[in-house]
Amino acid sequence: MWDDITKYLPDFDSAVLTGVDSEGYPFGVRCWPHPDAAAEDVLRVQLPADTLVQPGPASLLCHKHDENLWNLKSFLVRGALSRDERGWSFEPLRFIPGAGIGGLPAMARFFIGSRRNARRYLKKRGLARPRIPWGDINAVKEQVISSERVNSFR
Amino acid sequence: MITPSRKVAELPSEVEEVFREFRTCEMSTLARDGTPITWPTLPFWRPDEGRFMITTSISLTQKVFNVRRTPRVSLLFSDPTASGLKDPPAVLVQADAEAEDEILTSVDGFEDEMRMVYRRQPASRVYSSNALLRYFMDWYYMRLVIHVTPRRILWWPSRDFSQAPFVMEPDHVG
Repeated sequence: MWDDITKYLPDFDSAVLTGVDSEGYPFGVRCWPHPDAAAEDVLRVQLPADTLVQPGPASLLCHKHDENLWNLKSFLVRGALSRDERGWSFEPLRFIPGAGIGGLPAMARFFIGSRRNARRYLKKRGLARPRIPWGDINAVKEQVISSERVNSFR
Repeated sequence: MITPSRKVAELPSEVEEVFREFRTCEMSTLARDGTPITWPTLPFWRPDEGRFMITTSISLTQKVFNVRRTPRVSLLFSDPTASGLKDPPAVLVQADAEAEDEILTSVDGFEDEMRMVYRRQPASRVYSSNALLRYFMDWYYMRLVIHVTPRRILWWPSRDFSQAPFVMEPDHVG
């Protein structure tokens, strides 16, 4: 897990650290995590002095996309947030790959697994696989493509 | 503790711009053991309802199950890529969420959101483009809806998290 974190973390400018506030709501901020030089397999994070995040369960998300909301890349690390005299640290407990991690094999697993998950969801509830109104969907798509063509000629 | 002088009564226009223009937000739900689980999500701000609509496929139901068990969620808007906004704030919406049971496949009532996705993410147009992809991708169009009603909205001008945030606690936003 630590190898995955150190392999993929440098691909991102920053990360989203999410903990829980005193009322039990998730509370997330951007931060710049880096390996703790004095401890093994721990990330140091800088949080504002008056942050509402409480020590305890937390997660670290790295994600990015391009100008066309594509070339998605992401991963999540579940862990625990704690505070000591040197500031805040995040102890990773589980690495969860997201989009764009693991190459083509991972992508194939995702799409095949998603089809299987849908089948299971429906079967558990005794539901038939719904019919998708492809004609309506493609009509909306064509409206967008047509408006882009018109705009490109203006 | 939020600095009292930073509490405001009205949501400024630059915050609503973020809701409309950011391509993604980071949505956090709470797992059974209390760990916040955060993934990038497409947010649809519905100002007339004062809440966000989030949808997810029946193949990716983790956030739905988390919301049904614990409705406390957050949406963080911290990545302005492709938004076209100059120096926008970062915005954190702490909210209460409700997940519907009904599986939606119809475009009725979602045409605006679908147009927005096709405009902003041109590559997603391929999913419905031929019979093979329609077979493999039908699960993507079987959607569950999550309604997210803001309880507290915090924002950091220039996305500078080292400063104390501005805060609004709405009865109704929008």
